[in-house]
Amino acid sequence: MVLSFIKKYRVAATAAFCMMLFELAVELVQPLIISKIIDDGIAQRQLSVAWIWGAILVGSAVFAFAAGIASSFFASHASQGFGYDLRDRLYEKVEGFSYSVFNRFATSSLITRLTGDITQMQDMLFMGLRFASRVPLVVTGSMVMALVVHVRLGLFLTILIPVLVVFVLWMIRRISQQFRTVQQRLDRLNGVIQENLSGMRLIRVFVRRDHEISRFGQRSRDLMEGNVRALRLAETTMPFVLFVMNLGILAVLWFGRMDIAAGDASIGQVVAVVNYSLRTIGALSALSWIMTSYSRAAASAQRVNEVLLTEDSSEEEALDHKVASLQHSLPLQGRVEFSGVSFRYPGSDLRVLEDISFQVEPGQRVAIMGATGSGKSSLVQLIPRLYEPTRGIIRIDGRDIAHIDSSRLRGSIGYVPQEILLFSGTIRDNIAWGREDAAEEEIQTAAQQAQIHETIASLSHGYDTMIGQRGVNLSGGQKQRLSIARALVRRPYILILDDSTSALDMRTEAALMQALDEFSCTIFLITQKISTTITADLILLLDDGRLIASGTHEQLMKESDLYRRIVESQHREGEEQHVQGAR
Amino acid sequence: MFKALVEPFRHPYPKEVIQRQEGSGRKPRAKARDWSGTLGRLWGYLAQRKAKLTLVLVMVVFSSSLALLGPYMLGVAVDDYLGGSGGQPWVWFLVGIGLVYAGSSLTSWLQNIWMIEIAQETVYRMRSDLFTKLHALPISFYSKRQQGEIMSRVTNDIENVSSTLNSSAIQIFSSVLTLTGTIVVMLYLSPILTLLTFIVVPLMMFGMRWITRRTGPLYKQRQKDLGNLNGYIEETLSGQRIIKAFSQEERVLREFRTRNAAIRKSGFWAQTISGFIPKLMNFLNNFSFALVAGIGGVLAIYGQVTVGVIIVFVEYARQFTRPLNDLANQWNTLLSAIAGAERVFEVMDEDEEAADESGAQPIEQVAGKVSFSQVYFSYEQDGDTLEDISFTAEPGEMIALVGPTGAGKTTLIQLLSRFYEHDNGIIAIDDKDINSIRRDSLRSHMAFVLQDSFLFQGSIRDNIAFGRLEATDAEIEAAARLANAHSFIMRLPHGYDERLGIGGDGISQGQKQLLAIARAMLANPSILVLDEATSSIDTVTELKIQEGLQRLMKGRTSFVIAHRLNTIRQADKILVLKDGQLIEQGDHRDLLKRDGFYSKLYYGQLQEQEEESRRSDES
Repeated sequence: MVLSFIKKYRVAATAAFCMMLFELAVELVQPLIISKIIDDGIAQRQLSVAWIWGAILVGSAVFAFAAGIASSFFASHASQGFGYDLRDRLYEKVEGFSYSVFNRFATSSLITRLTGDITQMQDMLFMGLRFASRVPLVVTGSMVMALVVHVRLGLFLTILIPVLVVFVLWMIRRISQQFRTVQQRLDRLNGVIQENLSGMRLIRVFVRRDHEISRFGQRSRDLMEGNVRALRLAETTMPFVLFVMNLGILAVLWFGRMDIAAGDASIGQVVAVVNYSLRTIGALSALSWIMTSYSRAAASAQRVNEVLLTEDSSEEEALDHKVASLQHSLPLQGRVEFSGVSFRYPGSDLRVLEDISFQVEPGQRVAIMGATGSGKSSLVQLIPRLYEPTRGIIRIDGRDIAHIDSSRLRGSIGYVPQEILLFSGTIRDNIAWGREDAAEEEIQTAAQQAQIHETIASLSHGYDTMIGQRGVNLSGGQKQRLSIARALVRRPYILILDDSTSALDMRTEAALMQALDEFSCTIFLITQKISTTITADLILLLDDGRLIASGTHEQLMKESDLYRRIVESQHREGEEQHVQGAR
Repeated sequence: MFKALVEPFRHPYPKEVIQRQEGSGRKPRAKARDWSGTLGRLWGYLAQRKAKLTLVLVMVVFSSSLALLGPYMLGVAVDDYLGGSGGQPWVWFLVGIGLVYAGSSLTSWLQNIWMIEIAQETVYRMRSDLFTKLHALPISFYSKRQQGEIMSRVTNDIENVSSTLNSSAIQIFSSVLTLTGTIVVMLYLSPILTLLTFIVVPLMMFGMRWITRRTGPLYKQRQKDLGNLNGYIEETLSGQRIIKAFSQEERVLREFRTRNAAIRKSGFWAQTISGFIPKLMNFLNNFSFALVAGIGGVLAIYGQVTVGVIIVFVEYARQFTRPLNDLANQWNTLLSAIAGAERVFEVMDEDEEAADESGAQPIEQVAGKVSFSQVYFSYEQDGDTLEDISFTAEPGEMIALVGPTGAGKTTLIQLLSRFYEHDNGIIAIDDKDINSIRRDSLRSHMAFVLQDSFLFQGSIRDNIAFGRLEATDAEIEAAARLANAHSFIMRLPHGYDERLGIGGDGISQGQKQLLAIARAMLANPSILVLDEATSSIDTVTELKIQEGLQRLMKGRTSFVIAHRLNTIRQADKILVLKDGQLIEQGDHRDLLKRDGFYSKLYYGQLQEQEEESRRSDES
């Protein structure tokens, strides 16, 4: 799957590979040529032979250099293009996932796959076209060439090298196992450091210094021991291989001299075979490095493949319904109806919502209350179809939302999530993010409604102020109001506020509510504050995924025990609204 | 076919990203400021294994000379034995070469093994010293710096030193030895061929300069583009919910493509041009090989050199360019390791938390009376100060600290726990000057429940027992019950053995607070410091936390950085701070009667301003 992305660049890749072969050929004939110079030139005292072969050597070196430079271009083109295409496809795939499929992967793992993993494969392709594939070729090439030069002497290489290669590969496997352990130990050690830095004050207060130092010492010693063991193994391999290879050279010399005496070989041939042995040694030492990069790249490819091969049935379904939705292109009004809705997160047995039914008229305000984990956020996420209910039907304006094209459905909904998600860019960009074609005037209106316009105006760059990593740091409340403005600029028919006013003070919140009243859209509001629920048209009280009470404030005061308890607890806090002032 | 072949040279890669950097191409990544000082201290660590280190150096000398001897003897073998009849018996000569080879392998093996041990031990000691130092540094050190930056010194910088000591140190030494040895032997064998081999040196210098001058800025550009792309990926994937809910997939994809194309362009040039380096080195090898073989052959015909000499030279020429290139590379890593070591030593040179006064005593029983009299304090770096603070808290009283952000509430607490040392006046616990009490002993009578209830990786049990390692299971459970944490703990799959991730991952914010209360409960302090939570926690858990706190505060002197009116009204004494001064103190009713700053605060006239500062505090 991943490999098929190379196809598009097969010409460049093949060209790079051929260039590399050419370079390699030049290098491999060098010992052969030297044997010619010795045997035909020096031994025969033929001056012209030495000159000619010398010139050929220089010329071939220059050609090999030119080929090397060109291969750099080809290999870069192939690998960068490959990386570009793969990244593009993968990102498109991820963006196309429905939200529930998207959540099957941890966000951080998706980020790694899109960044580190692709770079890893891209680098491996580049290296593969230029060096990595060269090593086995040098090794086998040397063996073949040695045989060509002199069969009997070359035989030593053909026997010795495969044995050594197997040995090196076996060692590499053991070494990389050791280094995996080292990495784990290093991670653990860093974990201790991280914790100590974050909790330094607490450690001081609880006088835990000695305990922490001894814990660290233990981890640090583990790391040291692991490191010594792994590195020792790694450093043993090459001296050993070198020694065995050198013994082989000695054997070539010993038998070579016998052959020369018998007239079966020339000095040049013996020298050439020795030279090929020396070249093999150099190639073998690069083997371990190539093996590790290769296994890393292979792991990366597997991770990327996993994403590419993920099937997403719900999105296809949505496409099927696209045709149907065209017939209903009237704007939505905002009547929302849940009937018998149950919901489980994909891959989990836990019922998050069970048998929820209620109905909301256009323009009404719904307050949703309940403890953490009672299903409030899950309920509102079903409305823009971030998730699909496992049972039951959700209707908007009387139509099952499963039959409404998701982009049109979401186009009519303004959603303000609990966690604040702003993007790097200017404040204007962030508000207009809700609707790309929003005019300046509309952006400002939305900001005014969200009670953030004055704050923005007071900033030195106003709406052009940069926020995010490289910009101004806004306070939590300011960010909340900004994300509300982003939702309002869409002029939605349904507005969802998921506990998005928690950092606002009473006065600002009241002003916001008033602005929303003029906005005439259906509002879903998750909240912990009684002050907000009092004025709601409908209160939904959730407990453990079940709708245990619904109605207006007055109704619930009469009917629901839990609701009364919550109201009482908040009154104890101080019914006076200026409580906030003392904070 | 042809179109595909010329593609890499044109279409997607306009050259405008390539620019030359003036000056030397090879630049160390980070410069050390105090070279000799840092090296000296590094040496101080290494010198603890002087004997072994000397052995390593001896081994390097041996292995380098044996590595030189090998090819030389090969040349002799060709000249004297393959070509002629040789002096000594052939078998003995071969045994000689064999011994040289064996010795070379053995010495280089030993040098590496021993050096690894020395290096790892050194790094281990540096790590331990640094970590111990971190615990001896005053808290002000941590408030001045980003945590990531300290983290990087303890991890990356030390790793850097570690890997450099492992290999680069030896390699530099042996490269220098091999290089000089090679040159000497080459000159001895044939000055003319040596000169020919030297031709490649200026070629190499020139070529490397040409390349690195270009790759420097290119890599910088690539890094920037990559950061841009990765940042965008991270942002959009983390914000996926919003992208989906606003159906902005198309647009995000479009913006992604621009960034992806940018990295393709700069990546192409960076990779292509840096890809020239190995090709250049290869060429130089081949070139010197050709020169030595061709011209050597001619010289051999004139009887100037022997065949053996050519063989030796071919090998040496290879050994000559490689260490030269190695040296340049290793030099860079060495420099950045020294810079890393310097950053580590910088931390080690920081002033430690002032030592306990001589004659400071541990304190056994604390009733909990706390008094400040005319206490002054100012931070070195910025304007936050405390001026003339005087008050007394009787044992078991609850003291609420009220005031705008930056008024000095936290500073006051930090002085009490001696994270900072006050400049003037006396802070006393049970009428004993805290400067006369050993710090550890003083702190062991205090416990903190902070807004960010920090939890450690480990089991729930370990986290509660954090303040008292020797606590029994029964004590831990009792503390958890009092803190209202027991019931939620029992609902976890592994109960008290449930493991929490880094920073207490795995349980909710409110549950973390309950654990923090249990932890303080178990520590059984006489003095308690509470920083009330402002984040929104659901009502039910909130009730539990309140109840737990009430039990915790009972019978202890407690200082509460208060945000809730409820808490403040209950307080025995309210300290109203403003701009570092204690402007009012008394209980709720007194203060309201006084109609001063507190009552203004209370009646919410400063609401807006206060809200803003509180929020900017959170973010």
